[in-house]
Amino acid sequence: MFQKILIANRGEIAVRIIRACRELGIRTVAVYSEADREALHAQLADEAICIGPAPAADSYLDMERIISACIAVKADAIHPGFGFLSENSKFARMCRKCHITFIGPSPEIIDRMGNKSEARNTMSKAGVPVVPGTKEPVKDVQTARHFAREIGYPVMIKASSGGGGKGMRIAESDLDFAENFQMAQMESMRGFGDDTMYIEKYVKDPKHIEFQIIADKFGNVVQLGERDCSIQRNHQKVIEESPCAILNEKLRKEMGETAVRAAKAAHYENAGTIEFLLDKDRNYYFIEMNTRIQVEHPVTEMVSGVDLIKEQIYVAAGMPLSVTQEDIRLNGHAIECRINAENPEKNFMPCPGTIGQVHLPGGFGVRVDTAVYSGYEIPPYYDSMIAKVIVHDRTRAGAIHKMRSTLGELILEGITTNVDFQYEILNNRDFCAGDFDTSFIEKNMGSR
Amino acid sequence: MAIFKSMFKKTSYINLDSGSESEEKDGTGTKQPKEPSVPEGLWVKCPKCGKMIYRDDIRENFYACPKCGGYFRIKTRTRIRLVLDKGSFEEWGTDIPDKNPLDFPQYEEKLENTREKTGLREAITIGKGSICGQETVFGVCDARFLMGSMGYAVGERITQAVERATKERLPVILFCCSGGARMQEGIVSLMQMAKTSAALKRHSEAGFLYVPVLTDPTTGGVTASFAMLGDIILAEPGALIGFAGPRVISQTIGEKLPEGFQRAEFLVEKGIIDGIVERKNLRNTLSALLAMHKTEVSGMEFDRMYDFEDTARSVQAEQKDREVTKRSAWERVKLSRSQSRCTARDYIEAVFDDFLELHGDRAFRDDGAIVGGVATLDGMPVTVIGQQKGRSTKENISCNFGMVSPEGYRKALRLMKQAEKFHRPIVCFVDTPGAACGIGAEERGQGEAIARNLYEMSDLKVPVLSIVIGEGGSGGALGLAVANEVWMMENATYSILSPEGFASILWKDGKRAKEASGIMKITAEDLKELGVIEWIVPEKEPAESKNLKEIAENMKLHMKDFFYRQAGKTGEELALERYGRFRVM
Repeated sequence: MFQKILIANRGEIAVRIIRACRELGIRTVAVYSEADREALHAQLADEAICIGPAPAADSYLDMERIISACIAVKADAIHPGFGFLSENSKFARMCRKCHITFIGPSPEIIDRMGNKSEARNTMSKAGVPVVPGTKEPVKDVQTARHFAREIGYPVMIKASSGGGGKGMRIAESDLDFAENFQMAQMESMRGFGDDTMYIEKYVKDPKHIEFQIIADKFGNVVQLGERDCSIQRNHQKVIEESPCAILNEKLRKEMGETAVRAAKAAHYENAGTIEFLLDKDRNYYFIEMNTRIQVEHPVTEMVSGVDLIKEQIYVAAGMPLSVTQEDIRLNGHAIECRINAENPEKNFMPCPGTIGQVHLPGGFGVRVDTAVYSGYEIPPYYDSMIAKVIVHDRTRAGAIHKMRSTLGELILEGITTNVDFQYEILNNRDFCAGDFDTSFIEKNMGSR
Repeated sequence: MAIFKSMFKKTSYINLDSGSESEEKDGTGTKQPKEPSVPEGLWVKCPKCGKMIYRDDIRENFYACPKCGGYFRIKTRTRIRLVLDKGSFEEWGTDIPDKNPLDFPQYEEKLENTREKTGLREAITIGKGSICGQETVFGVCDARFLMGSMGYAVGERITQAVERATKERLPVILFCCSGGARMQEGIVSLMQMAKTSAALKRHSEAGFLYVPVLTDPTTGGVTASFAMLGDIILAEPGALIGFAGPRVISQTIGEKLPEGFQRAEFLVEKGIIDGIVERKNLRNTLSALLAMHKTEVSGMEFDRMYDFEDTARSVQAEQKDREVTKRSAWERVKLSRSQSRCTARDYIEAVFDDFLELHGDRAFRDDGAIVGGVATLDGMPVTVIGQQKGRSTKENISCNFGMVSPEGYRKALRLMKQAEKFHRPIVCFVDTPGAACGIGAEERGQGEAIARNLYEMSDLKVPVLSIVIGEGGSGGALGLAVANEVWMMENATYSILSPEGFASILWKDGKRAKEASGIMKITAEDLKELGVIEWIVPEKEPAESKNLKEIAENMKLHMKDFFYRQAGKTGEELALERYGRFRVM
């Protein structure tokens, strides 16, 4: 087992990891930027090292500095948390070369799952359903339209080198296909100098369902049920819950087994997430695998009783998982609300500032993962998420009620947050009925 | 750590029950993993910013620091790999003997040692290679070999290679990196400067392209010879380029030198070199330059090699003079000066492809009021030059509101002479309130500069087309408008001076500008009637970014028609026609 772990992250996830280490008797090293001198993670860890100026590129993303810090304090492992370097295979490789354990999958797996088309092929081969689409890139309209008809409209036209919505178009039928294809191709030519395109079935307003898995080096893979992360704004998750309200036992079991198969096909090790799109007809498609711990991992922890961070540390240390699939009993319902320092009235503009009085809710089945405290100054350089409020109850309705009550206790004076926005969602009839998909916020919260 | 003042209990305070897994694991003592440490050579320290960097990153980043962007000097072999087609390089001049004219002690040994250490024969490696399939003579200096200094063998290698390039009708590309002449060979080294320069002059006279690429550092006798004699001189970012070294200058004048002095960026600003190209783009840029300078030009005849015939037919078939929108002269004056009007750069981007901007007059300063360079018009290389106005205050400071300084006219003339050398037609975009007016402009001979352009332009042996796109202000405009044809946009003006000036001189009242504009005959329609211009570029709506594409497309069609009409004419004929055009006025 590790003697000392360096946490290459900040904020609530760094605090979360430090807590798990403390419980395991492992000493902790926090790294912090000049803007994070007063941050909770830096104070809570046994040691703390400043690794550079405020901009993340000069601190939390500076691999050489983080590794130097790790060697200087003689830590034997690095936990990357999420974001920053968590899915950076180069960093994982560098750790390996320096005899430091990277708590996460191997760089080879990160690369394999990071490459969308390779991940898709791996999954497809393992019998995991993927969104139907062209396997080879296409260049001309005729061939592309032929594929589009085969796949069935609506289709998504995607540039091979695309990203950030560039070179991406939806075609509803033969009528608008050629135009959209040419537009997307032109955009791609201009933006990336590449005219190769892919055609994919467009899954309209799906649910975003992901399965948490954890695997050790002995080939044991355990899945810990699903999370419904459909409440999103601009692809940013807002509320996550487990289990999903509309999944029946049969489908849950089938999808869970598929997730395990997917993880095995990838020869996966450590914690990971298999993401699926679930359409109106209950068809599900693999979209990608996240090779890290996720923001919303607490909801899974609450229903499964498994401490995911601890399991990550165990398997990284070469130990077997402490649980088997048979041990897993998913209990009740958990919901997480992400609390961001942002202003929903001003297009969710981040609004950092100094927090005055703080009151964090508590009680039975209530968990708050945060790194804020009274007098804490939120630096403007990083993510605006400042807390995660998680509740657990026997039923979904019970959990919703508990969350409403809990958010009512949350006091973060001096800054603007999205708590009221969260209330609005929690009070929405469709949300309460479990009747929502990824278009929920766009459709229901559009008035603001 | 002020807030909680280390009040949190440390992990070691937390009492774990006996038999914790960690202790058990350690007790087994199997395979102790290695202590965390950085393996030798995994990281290197950047000499520019002092930060630790990952060795693999440097290679991926074209041998530049991924953190500060600073360039590392690279080996000859690496340079060849980065620029030339794989396996295409064939070294020349390997049989050139060493010389030790001063009988300098231990010089031979020093050479031998350096050869052993670097694996190079001399400070320059030169030969033939290809870039994207285009053959060129290619040389690389290497700083590891006695600071890339030029002695007999270096000079001889360059000279022989350039002579062979002339004979084999090949362009020459030299990557310069040198401290200057080689001290150990004394005056013989100095003579290499003259020898290499003379060989390049002959290569140039024969009509071939030479591109030196200046890398860090290029100084002394190399700067004062082959490094500065290119048709187009490129440099890598941040490269130190100068004649005297900065230390020598600083000691001589007893002053601290300013930040950025003698760096590549400084030389562009001072008009000495054409431009800076990032290392990662060098191969593509050089490839594009070679493509634009294909040496298969036969004689002085402007070629029919571009198939513009179809376009030309369609243009000729269409009714040439469409109705122009009725507007008063004063309205057109205001439109021509409008902030939102398209500028030269807009037309260059919209009409041409592959525009590569070239800077400087090679003497004093790069004038931002002139934008110029090489581009292609549906595959045909063209030299394009324009008077550039800005849209914001910042832009206008850098381009002086489109008012061209003497160095701007000289830059334009340099590019036109370059076009003539390579039989490339010239397109000029005219848009200036007038030539720059000021003490500096007069000191540097504003009148002479404009006159020189009129004089030289009249005799250019390539087709010249000038388009007045906004304000055609007086002599400042004419300095770019001695062309075979002059076109005007519908809402452009072209005049002896501004209506304000006209009113103030004739009526001693600048406020009567509107009235003056009415009688000065400054609009495209008036000038077409007077025979001063050939064609009016129609503007259905006044030219702005929203209709730029449409206008540019039409302009392009007519340009192709113009070039089609020039095809088959000799350089002499083109010059004579231009002479005749102005002779009748």
